[in-house]
Amino acid sequence: MHVALPAQLIGRLQKTLGANRVLTAGSDLMAYECDGFTIEKNSPDVVVFPDTTEHVTQIVSLCNEYDVPFIPRGAGTSLAGGCLPVGGGVMIVLTRMKEILEINLRDRYAIVQPGVVNVWLTQALKGSGYHYAPDPSSQGACTIGGNVATNSGGPHTLKYGVTVNHVLGLEAVLADGQIVRLGGPAEDAPGLDLVGAIVGSEGTLAIVTRVWVRITRNPQGYRTMLGIFESVEDATNAISEIIGAGIVPAALEMMDQGILVAVEEAFGFGFPLDAQAVLLIEVDGLEAGLDHQRDQIDRLCKECGAREVRRAETDRERQQLWKARKQAFGAIGRLSPSYCTQDGVVPRTKLPQILQRITEISQRYELKVVNVFHAGDGNLHPILLFDERDQHQVERVLKASGEILEECLACGGSVTGEHGIGVEKIHFMKRMFSEDDLAVMGRLRDSFNPHNKLSPDKMLPTAGACGMEQTHPGRRAAM
Amino acid sequence: MTVIPEDFPVAETIEIQETAEVAAVISGASQRDQVIYPIGGGTALDWGLPATRPGTGLLLGGLQRVIDYPARDMTITVEAGITMQALAAELATEGQQLPLDVPQADRATLGGVVATNTNGPRRFGLGTVRDYVIGIHAVDGQGTPFQGGGRVVKNVAGYDFCKLLTGSMGTLGVITQLTLKLKPIPEQRTLVACAVDRWQTAETLLNGLVQSQTTPAAVELLSGSAWFSLAGLPTEGYAPRPGNSWLLVALEGTQPEVRWMVDQILKEWRGMSITAAAECTEEQAAALWSALVEFPAGESPLVLKASVLPSATTRMMAAFQEVDADCSLQAHAGNGTVIARFSAFPSDGLSRTLVTQLQPVAIASQGNITILSNPGKSEMTPQCVWGGNTAPFDLMSAVKQKFDPQNLLNPDRFVYRSTAS
Repeated sequence: MHVALPAQLIGRLQKTLGANRVLTAGSDLMAYECDGFTIEKNSPDVVVFPDTTEHVTQIVSLCNEYDVPFIPRGAGTSLAGGCLPVGGGVMIVLTRMKEILEINLRDRYAIVQPGVVNVWLTQALKGSGYHYAPDPSSQGACTIGGNVATNSGGPHTLKYGVTVNHVLGLEAVLADGQIVRLGGPAEDAPGLDLVGAIVGSEGTLAIVTRVWVRITRNPQGYRTMLGIFESVEDATNAISEIIGAGIVPAALEMMDQGILVAVEEAFGFGFPLDAQAVLLIEVDGLEAGLDHQRDQIDRLCKECGAREVRRAETDRERQQLWKARKQAFGAIGRLSPSYCTQDGVVPRTKLPQILQRITEISQRYELKVVNVFHAGDGNLHPILLFDERDQHQVERVLKASGEILEECLACGGSVTGEHGIGVEKIHFMKRMFSEDDLAVMGRLRDSFNPHNKLSPDKMLPTAGACGMEQTHPGRRAAM
Repeated sequence: MTVIPEDFPVAETIEIQETAEVAAVISGASQRDQVIYPIGGGTALDWGLPATRPGTGLLLGGLQRVIDYPARDMTITVEAGITMQALAAELATEGQQLPLDVPQADRATLGGVVATNTNGPRRFGLGTVRDYVIGIHAVDGQGTPFQGGGRVVKNVAGYDFCKLLTGSMGTLGVITQLTLKLKPIPEQRTLVACAVDRWQTAETLLNGLVQSQTTPAAVELLSGSAWFSLAGLPTEGYAPRPGNSWLLVALEGTQPEVRWMVDQILKEWRGMSITAAAECTEEQAAALWSALVEFPAGESPLVLKASVLPSATTRMMAAFQEVDADCSLQAHAGNGTVIARFSAFPSDGLSRTLVTQLQPVAIASQGNITILSNPGKSEMTPQCVWGGNTAPFDLMSAVKQKFDPQNLLNPDRFVYRSTAS
């Protein structure tokens, strides 16, 4: 699929950026052949590292002049192949644009360059009484530009929303090299909400070079609990009861027995190994209301059959519980040599149904599946365990994954809650959307990216294009 | 009941009863090159540039069915013509709400609210329309029905038409159905108010709220005669002249949370030498709240809306009072939204007043001024109606072209620079 890149283009990129901002050696390019979705790989022809918006615009203009595809990339932590350079071309890596340009507490915003790592902003805000709310579990590595491209979530989206709810404005370079400024720190800019259209567009509409984000007041306090359940169904009923009671927890995460065993073996937190499921529940806000909410949750969990509801009495205990949740993926290595994570969503009242179906599917394909996920949002991350050396298992994993996502759709859900479509789920778009829907999406892309040189073959199934065939499930995961 | 102003150029109206009819009507209109004006409750027909091309009014108020209300999922799917009042009543049966605070809720339809991105006081604590729409169905300018999003609260599949269509004034597509994320109705809400005798003090108090231990749902700064007669606003420390204002915070939550916040905010304000502050009684709070929500729709020869940095709120309010000392002002001060109801049409002319006096203040704080209503319709130029910022209108026009190539949906009323006709 590669187009031969004109040598002249490389020379001009080097001249524009400096030779140390341009990678062309095959061994250097290997690191950029995929993101966290490792099934499919393809090397870019050249990787460039702009320092400024002007650099980006110059690179894009050169790509247009030589008619080669180009694709932006942040830290490469995305999980659906969003920055896989299909067809090669120029990869524009934005990690050197990593300045926090302004923090304005009075007007509750910050301006960052796209390469700023998510957690840096919250670190920079430490002591100010504010934080940046979107907190994907990869927040120590992922960039805010990448979060904008994928509309990233995280455990605290249940109460605080996803990335798009926190982006006020963007500066972006369009597919023709033009620089635009959309929105900004003052709200309600007249015209279309193109900020809202670009966030989550997986790099197919524009290359984001500057982001105005809303910063959020820190909660006064937290109450963190662990509900221990005899059955998955009891745990999912408790989720519905808690939300039905008008409580919006800051986070509501579920781990089933399979993952509990692994976490316990790895870290020894003292989880009961015979419990079928645990819920990690956190409420935050004013101290004046927290004990009451905690007691309500305690009661509702017990009414739903919880054996025990443990409370984190100290900040250290709270951190222990979160450590168990966030390090769950690290423990999976104890269960199997390889694993594959899915990212389906269902209405949260359908959780019992979908978890039952996942169990049936895994039994039918003779696969072990464990679950650790954002239960409050109905955002599932079933982890399919297998041995990648066994091609039969690999095939079963792919089929089972597909069936799980089909079931999510049958429950009225989505095939991706936060990881994106990328290339991984492109074949599901026709299942979720009609031809008309996809045609209109195509027209939106055309209005930004008429020649489809910016991040080609992503997100939207292209008429007549041969999709890459899946032969191997992904191994890595993060949430 | 939808009231269409007499000067609105609709020769005929079609009452839509089923969503499928919308595609059929627009498809037919597209073949005849016939202009379409989507109309919900008709409460915002003044917004934007005046309609000039004769066309067909598409009355969408008949689309009012609740398609699915899985209350435990805290989402609802409804047809777009449902009024905000009917929607609120439906949600209240489950103790839930869509916290948007829209004026004329008995007429304003959900589809209209989304198309105009209408928000109210609680945008500070609870967000705006775009934070609540998770699924959308619409019909484009050639009669093609399309949808975006879905019915789950977290979903990143495909382009986010929910955001794109919010505030698009029906110019990309006629909205027929929406799925919303919902919030629980809080146990209690109260209002705490104080009088402030100069803008500088008001700004000090607003700045204080940045580090307040309380979490207000709304932060309102009010000035002018519209508010004089309302009980609950302290009279001590307020004189009816420019520069005087009332600061009002809405506090919501469980009863213990609200009680704690009332005590806390009064304590914080006392620390800033504000003594004439008080919590409204329940009755006062209800009347005041209603006045806060309805203010932008009040009778006035001119209603302008400025959106500026929150720290420039008082500067913007002062600028409005310099133009019209008797205007009435409401600021959603936590967001930098200032709504000005003029007492008289500016004697210098609208265009001149905006360009020389008001827009510079807004632009200096990265903001803009738009016209919410101008019943006299004079000087309704694009620069007046949408002016005062540097948005990339060309790019927006390119998007419009792809959704409505014949420029039939609400033509020539929005921000687009060069539209096909």
